[in-house]
Amino acid sequence: MLFGLLCLTFAISHVVPGDPARLAAGPDANESMVQTLRAKYGLDRPLGVQFVRYLAGVARGDLGQSLRSRNAVLDDLLMYFPNTFELVTLALLLAVIVGVPLGMLSAVYQNTWIDHVTRVVLVSGVALSAFWLGLMLQLLIALHLGWLPLGGRLGLTATPPVPVTHLLFVDAVLRGEWRTLDDALAHAVLPVITLCFPALASIMRVNRAEMLETLRQDYIVTARAQGFSGFRVVSRYALRNAMIPTLTMIGLRYGWMLGGTVLVETVFDWPGIGLYAVNAAVSSDFQPIMGVTLLIGLNFMLANLLVDFAYGWLDPRIRRPAS
Amino acid sequence: MKRCPLLAVLALFVVAIAAPPTCAFERVGDKKILVFAGRQEVPTIDPSVKYDWSIRMMQQGLYDALVKYVGNPPEIVPWLAERWEASPDARTWTFHLAKNARFQNGDPVTAEAVRWSFARTLKLNQGPAWMLSDFLKEDGIKVVNEHTIQFVLSQPYSPFLSFVPWWYVMNPKQVLANEQGGDLGQKWLTDNAAGSGPFKIKRWQQGVLYELEAVDNYWKGWPSKDHVAGVIYKLVRESAAQRAALLRGEADIVEGLSADDFDQVAKTPGVTVPNFPGMTTFGIKMNTQKAPTNDANLRKAVAYAFDYDALIKIYNGNAVLQTGPFPNATKGHVAVAGLPRQDLGKAKEFLAKSGYPSGGVELEYVYVQSLEEERKMGLVLIDNLGKLNIKVKMVPLTWPNMVARGAKVESSPDLMAVFATPVSTDPDAVAYQYHKNSWGKYYGSSFYQNADVWGLIERARTASKWEERAPLYADIQRRIAADQPEIFGMLANRRWGMRDWVKGFSFSPVRFTGEVDLYPLAIVAK
Repeated sequence: MLFGLLCLTFAISHVVPGDPARLAAGPDANESMVQTLRAKYGLDRPLGVQFVRYLAGVARGDLGQSLRSRNAVLDDLLMYFPNTFELVTLALLLAVIVGVPLGMLSAVYQNTWIDHVTRVVLVSGVALSAFWLGLMLQLLIALHLGWLPLGGRLGLTATPPVPVTHLLFVDAVLRGEWRTLDDALAHAVLPVITLCFPALASIMRVNRAEMLETLRQDYIVTARAQGFSGFRVVSRYALRNAMIPTLTMIGLRYGWMLGGTVLVETVFDWPGIGLYAVNAAVSSDFQPIMGVTLLIGLNFMLANLLVDFAYGWLDPRIRRPAS
Repeated sequence: MKRCPLLAVLALFVVAIAAPPTCAFERVGDKKILVFAGRQEVPTIDPSVKYDWSIRMMQQGLYDALVKYVGNPPEIVPWLAERWEASPDARTWTFHLAKNARFQNGDPVTAEAVRWSFARTLKLNQGPAWMLSDFLKEDGIKVVNEHTIQFVLSQPYSPFLSFVPWWYVMNPKQVLANEQGGDLGQKWLTDNAAGSGPFKIKRWQQGVLYELEAVDNYWKGWPSKDHVAGVIYKLVRESAAQRAALLRGEADIVEGLSADDFDQVAKTPGVTVPNFPGMTTFGIKMNTQKAPTNDANLRKAVAYAFDYDALIKIYNGNAVLQTGPFPNATKGHVAVAGLPRQDLGKAKEFLAKSGYPSGGVELEYVYVQSLEEERKMGLVLIDNLGKLNIKVKMVPLTWPNMVARGAKVESSPDLMAVFATPVSTDPDAVAYQYHKNSWGKYYGSSFYQNADVWGLIERARTASKWEERAPLYADIQRRIAADQPEIFGMLANRRWGMRDWVKGFSFSPVRFTGEVDLYPLAIVAK
């Protein structure tokens, strides 16, 4: 799958118009300068040779060089990806923690005011643009109320902890830098809420639909008839069965969020791979584009693998081998 | 109640992480650090490799050149060189270095360092190399003595001095000590500096912020005792966030606000908006070698139909119309008589003389996607040319795709919106945009073809006296205007949003869009 992804990305990035060497050389560069860059980055070789050389590099752990940043793509990804990973993970966690219970409540109290309110949240999450939501949150909470910072990961004079895992929150805890952690958390609130909202809506919608379906099942009626409390019936019997499709949605959302953070990163100046990828695409910088594609593809695969394991944990019938 | 603990925890969390009150500007001890919020990254600060406005703003702070552009109108003043001479034929240029110039590590700035820096840029053949590589070879750079350097050009080139401010001097000892695999220090100089400038790097967080610290014993001294102790160039990519940062006091200077935003923040107490006519021209280039715009009369008709006042309105009055092909601040600029302004009668006259007397053609107008001003100009074109029965198809493209389209005659659009900023005040920097050697570059997308003009350009750049060059450039401007390879549009003003405690701001139109000279800045708090 990853190989197919690489082939497709390579083909598309070389078919679209744009000369990365000319763009990297600058608007005033003469032909000799453009040729110098082409030769330096191997862009004067036939496409097939470029692709084979790239694959050979990937096999060695070398994802190539960025014409734009002049760095190794791997170095750039190590710098930017942890920021996106933390943002997406927190946003998804929040979406699950809030979305699943809200979906459950909405189903249990169908057609009551609780259901109506949660459905307003659902529709808003689907309809509101992340870009607009982010700007409004910035305007209201950061600018007018001054409760939270405008953007970035840390305050201007703060220095990130010496990296251990390259994950800022984790490294701050490991180094015992509590003020840095506090600062980082404050900076994360608005972008996490912005990114979480559409995911929350999707998770809530799926969970609500599945819960409604599940609550009509015979075994639920039986459980109620047997005198189990409403909470137990809903949480132990209904939710567990409704979570399978919800898990699928969570896995899908994770992949989408990884690849779709650019707007949130732009509004909140979050130095992640979304912005890196867009800048690379606009500059026709092939190797970072392929590096980001590879990385997101890998993460998507891992997320789906985790979802598969979670299926087995939720539903014993799935993990029991067929007799 | 079960909900209370949860709400209490939430409230505590919000209070715990709530942002502290914002400082007016960053203070570290008794030092005042200026915060500049900008949209554009600084991917490298290697002076031999790349330049654009954000890169050069940093390079200008970290490095020095032999001379420097200051002021408005821009003037070349001594810097590392305290004086210089040019031979009468403009082939030999001799610079005498200031004897007290020092790199930040204490090494003296010698003629050998200058020679090495120029040679490095020529050898790497990137960044500013194009400015001089046709005329200067490595063996033409001669060290006369420890403080005298001589450039012997392969042919006379009067504009030579006008490009020297952008050739920064590096400490070869420091660079070569950090060389990797014979790369002449390229990897190391991406995010390290080996300069003699007024600032040194304190923090370099790629994609986040870049912090410079003032060099207290800078060899040239400081213009003010209140000079900034440092500068943090912080990336704020969204213009609404930049505006919020300025109003909240989190940024002292911002660039890149929309025209409406600049007007709004200018009314805010404590905020000023310096506003100066720039050197960036806006033109709608017409493909002069492909039908239908290869028809000179059609081009004239288009130029006379266009509503030039709309350009000024789009910028809320913060622009001036061009009076000729060259920006007003260019040396030797002349106001060309009869440059088209909107005149529908004349437009129809030229249309009648063209190969399309009834119109009936569709012209493709290509502009930068998401650049609202250019989109509005397209709408103006649709309206104006509609009166000539000429349709306009608006095509937004990303900049790389526009550059790719403009690189060949066959694919270059009928009409292409182009902002162009010359890198020097010498008229050659603008005139050469109309030479055939500029075909394929974004400013050469009209594929202008006039051998007489090319001959004049080549004569003018090699003439050694300004008295010989000036009339040649006047002639060049008039001929280009007569051929109408583009709609000569306007020069948008350069603006920044600034807190009023920022002093010493010095504008020079030869600097790029958002670029600010950090050296003279000071913070004087009330």
